[in-house]
Amino acid sequence: MSHASEPGVLYPPTVVEEAEIARPASTGQMSQFGGLYYREILRTFRNPWVLVITVVQPFMWLAFFGSSFANVPLADLEALLHIQIQSYLQFLLPGVLSTSMLTVGMFGAMSTIQDKRFGYMKRILLTPTSKATVFLSKALGSATRGLVQVPVMIVAALAFGVQLNGSPLLWAGWVAGLVFLALGFSSLFLAVTASSTDWQTPGVISNFITMPLMFASGALFPSANFPTWMATISNWNPVTYSALLGRGIVVSGTANWLYLGYLAIFAAIMVTAGTLVARRYLRVE
Amino acid sequence: MTDDAIWASQITKTYGSLTAVDHVDLRVPDGGIFGLLGPNGAGKTTIIKLLTGLSEITHGEARVAGFDVRRNPMEVKQRIGWVAAEVILDDDFSAWENLWLQARLQRLTDWQDRANELLAYFSLEGRKKDKVGTFSTGMRKKLEIALALLHKPKVIFMDEPTIGLDPGTRRMLWELITGVNREYGITIFLTSHYIEEADALCREVAILNRGRIVAQGSPDELKSRVQADFLEIDTREALDEPRLKALPGVKEVRSQGTSWILKVSAAEEVLPRLFAAIDPGKIRRINVEKPSLESVFIDLTGQRIDEAGGEVHDFRKFYANVRRARG
Repeated sequence: MSHASEPGVLYPPTVVEEAEIARPASTGQMSQFGGLYYREILRTFRNPWVLVITVVQPFMWLAFFGSSFANVPLADLEALLHIQIQSYLQFLLPGVLSTSMLTVGMFGAMSTIQDKRFGYMKRILLTPTSKATVFLSKALGSATRGLVQVPVMIVAALAFGVQLNGSPLLWAGWVAGLVFLALGFSSLFLAVTASSTDWQTPGVISNFITMPLMFASGALFPSANFPTWMATISNWNPVTYSALLGRGIVVSGTANWLYLGYLAIFAAIMVTAGTLVARRYLRVE
Repeated sequence: MTDDAIWASQITKTYGSLTAVDHVDLRVPDGGIFGLLGPNGAGKTTIIKLLTGLSEITHGEARVAGFDVRRNPMEVKQRIGWVAAEVILDDDFSAWENLWLQARLQRLTDWQDRANELLAYFSLEGRKKDKVGTFSTGMRKKLEIALALLHKPKVIFMDEPTIGLDPGTRRMLWELITGVNREYGITIFLTSHYIEEADALCREVAILNRGRIVAQGSPDELKSRVQADFLEIDTREALDEPRLKALPGVKEVRSQGTSWILKVSAAEEVLPRLFAAIDPGKIRRINVEKPSLESVFIDLTGQRIDEAGGEVHDFRKFYANVRRARG
């Protein structure tokens, strides 16, 4: 530091610039995407509270919500839920994992707004990085963050004595479904908040999206018990299909791959729409 | 025109009915240090945004580092560096990780040697593994400049590079900026509302007021253009204006309530006459402005640079300052 005021002494004068610095010939955005995606992941997991909440939240769901029918005879529960199960927890696990993908989008949107507020978005967009790349790195980053809950939740369920069926292949298919769900919802959130710089926006939108989609789905209760209007929402709601796909696997070891197809289409539409919106409306500050 | 690092013709930016930048022409030759001087809210930051492609030009044309800003923004962005008014780094990351990310964003494959060289140049090599959050303001500023230099840009944009810094750090940065310009041969385009900064650093200065360039030239050229001193006087009550004008050596009188600006041929000759003509007891404060960039601004706009800024309510800058003060 002491010689900081004499840069000329520190460094021998060079001849005015040499050739341009090496860059790959292609003009793709993989380099930028990799950098920004890694930044999202690193930033998330360097914060110890994120890890604590990620681990604790699934336990809380299973412990508190999962225990709400603890004193109901299994036969009554099965009649109510229209399915043969080992316990309500077994019914609930796929639903809770699916609904937790709803909240990942909020974190992605919040991290984007933080980047705008602190000017980091400017730093990014003053390099040859497209807005679409920024968007995709955020969407995939928050989806990845959400997926960390999957193994944690499975361990939690096993700890609560839940019996899990299905082959590794079936489980891989369901995890793919959760990836689609997380990607779709994080894209949706990012698109809706693309032009916002207000901290409060993601929370407000989250309330509008998360709550209705959580209950108007087959995630926590079967939609057979719903009134028509709610069943209609549930029939369109991708959370329902992720929950049904998972429930088939967890409860009886069978999968309806049409559900996975539905989730893939949902993700494709949301990612495409989100990219287009981000290109047009992603604001710097 | 192709030899210029920056060339802009009649660039204009409007937000609704507000014209933030009004038909600005710029020519910055390769290898120079160019300063855009003006009060807060004059449109300096907006001009940087337009030239770097961050904000869309409403009307007009601009070329930076040989490429059209509108048609080839990505080409421009590969050839420019940027240093923000408020230091913008990833505090959770180390200095080296910040450099790594910048290299990814600039698509550099072979950057490590360059990064090490820059860290050594800025005396940061011992701290490269430390999180940036633990750095002092001066070190953060240096790292930001290192990031801006990593990809060997042709032009570096610096928005108010020393705003909010203590005098020692400011002086250090001035030396770094001239050093970077000299040794790396990089054109520097900076904005400032500090007269001394523009005077000390810039080979050429454009003075911006309310979105328009009101004067342009080297600091010496601009100063020689004024050829007058200014007396700024605050009084307790109104003065007899015709009488002031009649004083020998007074070229011009401007007033705002009880504040007066007298443009005079030579202050030391006019002052005794002034004290003879009016009751010195009426005078609260008097300031003599010898030819400087400040007097150029006073001559052109009738205000001091910091006063002119006070009129324009720039809430974004205000909040940025609040954020800085907190952080």
